[in-house]
This record gives sequence, structure tokens and C-alpha cells, in this order.
Amino acid sequence: MRNGTDRLRAVNVPQPAVVELDAGGSPAKIEMNSDVREPVTIEAVREIWRIDDEWWREPITRTYYEVLLHGGARLVLFRDLVAQEWFVQKP
Amino acid sequence: MTLTPHLASDSAACCWIPLFALRSELARRPELVSLPVALLAPDTARTPRVWQVAPLARRAGVKPGMTVSQAIGLCPGLKLCEPDPVHYDEQFARLVAALVTVSPVVEPVEVGRVFVGTDGLEGLYGAPENIVEAIQMRSAECGVRSFSEGSLAQRTSHVHSALRIPHSALRVGWGRGKFVAWVAATRAKPGEAVIVPVGGEAKFLASQPLAVLPLDPDTHRRLLQLGVKTLGALVALPEEAVVSQYGHAGRRLWRLAAGLVSEPVVGRVVPEPIVAALTFFSSVGERDLLAHALDKLVDRALGDPRRSGWRVQVVRVHAELEHGASWLVEATLKDPSATRERIAAPLKTQLERSPPAGAVERLVVEFTAFTPGTAELQLFARDAGAAARAGRRRALQSAAREIALRIRRPMLYHIIEVQPWSRLPERRYALIDFEP
Repeated sequence: MRNGTDRLRAVNVPQPAVVELDAGGSPAKIEMNSDVREPVTIEAVREIWRIDDEWWREPITRTYYEVLLHGGARLVLFRDLVAQEWFVQKP
Repeated sequence: MTLTPHLASDSAACCWIPLFALRSELARRPELVSLPVALLAPDTARTPRVWQVAPLARRAGVKPGMTVSQAIGLCPGLKLCEPDPVHYDEQFARLVAALVTVSPVVEPVEVGRVFVGTDGLEGLYGAPENIVEAIQMRSAECGVRSFSEGSLAQRTSHVHSALRIPHSALRVGWGRGKFVAWVAATRAKPGEAVIVPVGGEAKFLASQPLAVLPLDPDTHRRLLQLGVKTLGALVALPEEAVVSQYGHAGRRLWRLAAGLVSEPVVGRVVPEPIVAALTFFSSVGERDLLAHALDKLVDRALGDPRRSGWRVQVVRVHAELEHGASWLVEATLKDPSATRERIAAPLKTQLERSPPAGAVERLVVEFTAFTPGTAELQLFARDAGAAARAGRRRALQSAAREIALRIRRPMLYHIIEVQPWSRLPERRYALIDFEP
């Protein structure tokens, strides 16, 4: 997000990610567009919540997952239910 | 400066330079004069807010108290400046120091506004008009750069005198008591004065708008709803009726409006010299060590509670040397200061140029003359910690300029709140270029 005057820069922009789902539809592996290209196994989903916003213009609908990665790292990712794409974002 | 136990004066001159901090900033950065500029507030709050706004930005809708994102939204070309309160206070201290040469009774209220007690000056200068003229002359000589009131927005020439703050922007009001003098100053045009003759206070105040009274917004609104728009309209109401509505504060407001309150200007007695001394365990000859000791002693002297609210003008260092010899240097600061670096700098220069003739056994730093500071000074630079904050800010600005010069693109940012309430994380905050 940068405004017309090029003065403001967005912080915490969602980063695209590739997520593999398990049989139940929950995220099982994640591959982020960062230096590490290897998919990382998701050990557990700790919390799920949904955000519906800006329905009055371009609706935003996301399902957020707070997950525990293999190795113990905590991560928040969401699925954009409009575009059907996955992103990583700090909560 | 006269030392008397009671420095007070009923007759008062109010010297006022609106937007003093902004003017100081523009005076040292003239390239900003033709831009829509705003100063950020000098506090450390998480959400930076706009403090003082130049007319060009004000025309675009920017107002003091707005968040940065609101201000940028209204005025995309807005140039935001980090505040430098120590610099503004130093500039103001020069004005105050100049006024002290007119009268020993000087009461700084805030940066840009100071009262001068004028009781007894008739013998020196004559009528109030002449006293005010002396004040204007001294303020013009105080070493503040000059540009006109209108040029805050549009500057066509870069004529720099010794002045850093435009004396032409100085408004002076003279009257009996601080309130009348202040209201008179607000009515004066830039570079001019309004004099309220003794006995004419009620007549002068009657036509003034209600906003000149120290009212809270709610009382102001209620009075306007009652149709009270001027002090004369307020005084036309029975005093007891105003008291019954607004209590004790109402009585004070009514009496102020009627010109019945005359608060004197109260100066402060200049503190006695402040001394900090250090006796070395063994005699010291190394200049680095002596310079370090000087810093520590200046810090200690600055931390003396008696120094609070005063800037140091004259500092003296004397050393007791081996074999009974001594060494003495004295520095008069052109810009009275409350920061260690500025006070210690001339002393260190002297230490380099004409060092002690022998090893030093005892080193003494003495502040011997002072000029009044302000409430802002007390808040910001009264102790070494505050001075250190100011130093860090300047170092940060210097580093930021260096980075910008080397990388040629903005790499430093402020985090500002945009929609902190948003459920979408990316909407809550944004980065804006850090431009010191």
C-alpha cells in the first residue's frame, strides 16, 4: 500500500505462500516464498478464526490459522476465500 | 541583573512571537519556507502528532493535534519536521537574555511568550511607548534571524541579519497586569505594539472576543450559546449570576473580563553560583582525562536543582596544580545553554590552547551567570538525561542525513498509526519516510 504521493508504505503486507492440505482440509505443509524453499510440515493448528470485512466495497474474507511448525516455530497464515490463495502474515 | 528578594511588577509588557518553534526551524532551514511545513510534537508519544503548522499547510486543512496520517491525507505534499526543542529553547533564551537588559523582572511563560515587568522603568526610558520601543530594539538586537510575518509562507529573499527569529514577528502588548498585556499582544500586528493606558483596561477589554479568556471548551461553548461573545457582554451580566453558573472560576473570569484582576509579572532571583569540584587521588596531567573530568563536573553542576529553569551564560573552571600553582579559564556563552556539550566545548578548547602548567590536583567548575529558561526548558533540558536525549536526537538526524546521502534513497521510516482499530493487520500501521 502506497498512496498517491508515494509517502506511505504498508507494514505487514501478506506474503504469498503455498500450502498443502491434509485429508480434513487443514493446512499440513507450507512453502513460503522466502529463502527456504523446502516445504515445512505443520505439526498442529492451534487456533482458527475468520475475518469478513469491507463487504461494502471489495469484500475481504479470510480464514486465519495459527500453526505450530516442525521445529517449534509459530506462524500465522490465512486463506483468502475470495481469491482462494494462501498468505503468511504476522497477527 | 539586579538581585532583589521580590522581583515583581504590576505594569507588564507581553512579548509574543506566535509559532516560535516553527519560525526557528524555518530560520535555519530556509529551503522549507516555500513548502507546506508542519512540526511534529516534541513528546515521545507512540503516535506522532502535528504540533505547529505553517500557513500553506494550514490552508490545506492541516491543524495542530492531527495524526500524521490525517495530515498527509489532507496535504499530500506536507513536509514534516522532527522537532528540536533544545534549539528552540536556545533561540528563545537569546530573546529572554536581551529582555533582561531592559528589565530585571522577566517571566518566560512558554517558548515564544514572555512577560517583562516595567515598573520603575519610566525613569530610564520615559512613557510606556518608549519602554516598549526599548524592548523592541533589544529584541531586534538579540541575535535572531529576520524574516517577516508573511514570509512564513512565502519568502522571496534570504536576508539574514544577526537575528535568528524575526523581530518583525514580535508582537508587544503593554498594560496593567499580565492578562491585559497578553490580550494587547494578541491584538498587535507583527512588529508592532498595542498599549493599554492605565485606567483604560475595562474599555479595551470590553470589545475583545471571549476566546482571549482562559476558558475550557465547555464553558466557552455555553457562554456562546448564551449569546456572550465579547468580554463586554460577559461583564454586562451580574457578577453573582456568572458565579452561580460557573462557580469560583466564573468569578475569576468575570473579574478578568472587567479588568479588575491585575496579576503582576514575577521574576526570579538569579541563583547563586553553582559549583562542582573534583579532587584527584593523584595529580592528573593528561588532557583527555581532564576533559573527561570537565564533562562530569559540568553534568553534576547542571543537575543542581537550583539550576532548574535557568540557562548557563558564564562558566568558569579553575584548577589547583601541584606546587601551589593554579589555572583559570572563563567562558561566556553567546547562546546561553543547558546542555553539557555546549557548555563544555569552549572550556575544552581553552584546555587545548592553554593547558595547565602542571598536573592538576583539584578541578572546579563554576556556573557564575544565568539567563532565564522556560517551562519547556525545564521539561526538556533540565538535567543531563534530557540533554542526552537531545544529543541522541541530533546524532540520529545526522546519521539519517548521512545514510540518505550515501544510499540516495529513503531507507529510514517512522511507523505511524493508520487504522489501528482495523481487523486487517496490514491496515493498522504504515511507514513514512524519516526526514530529519
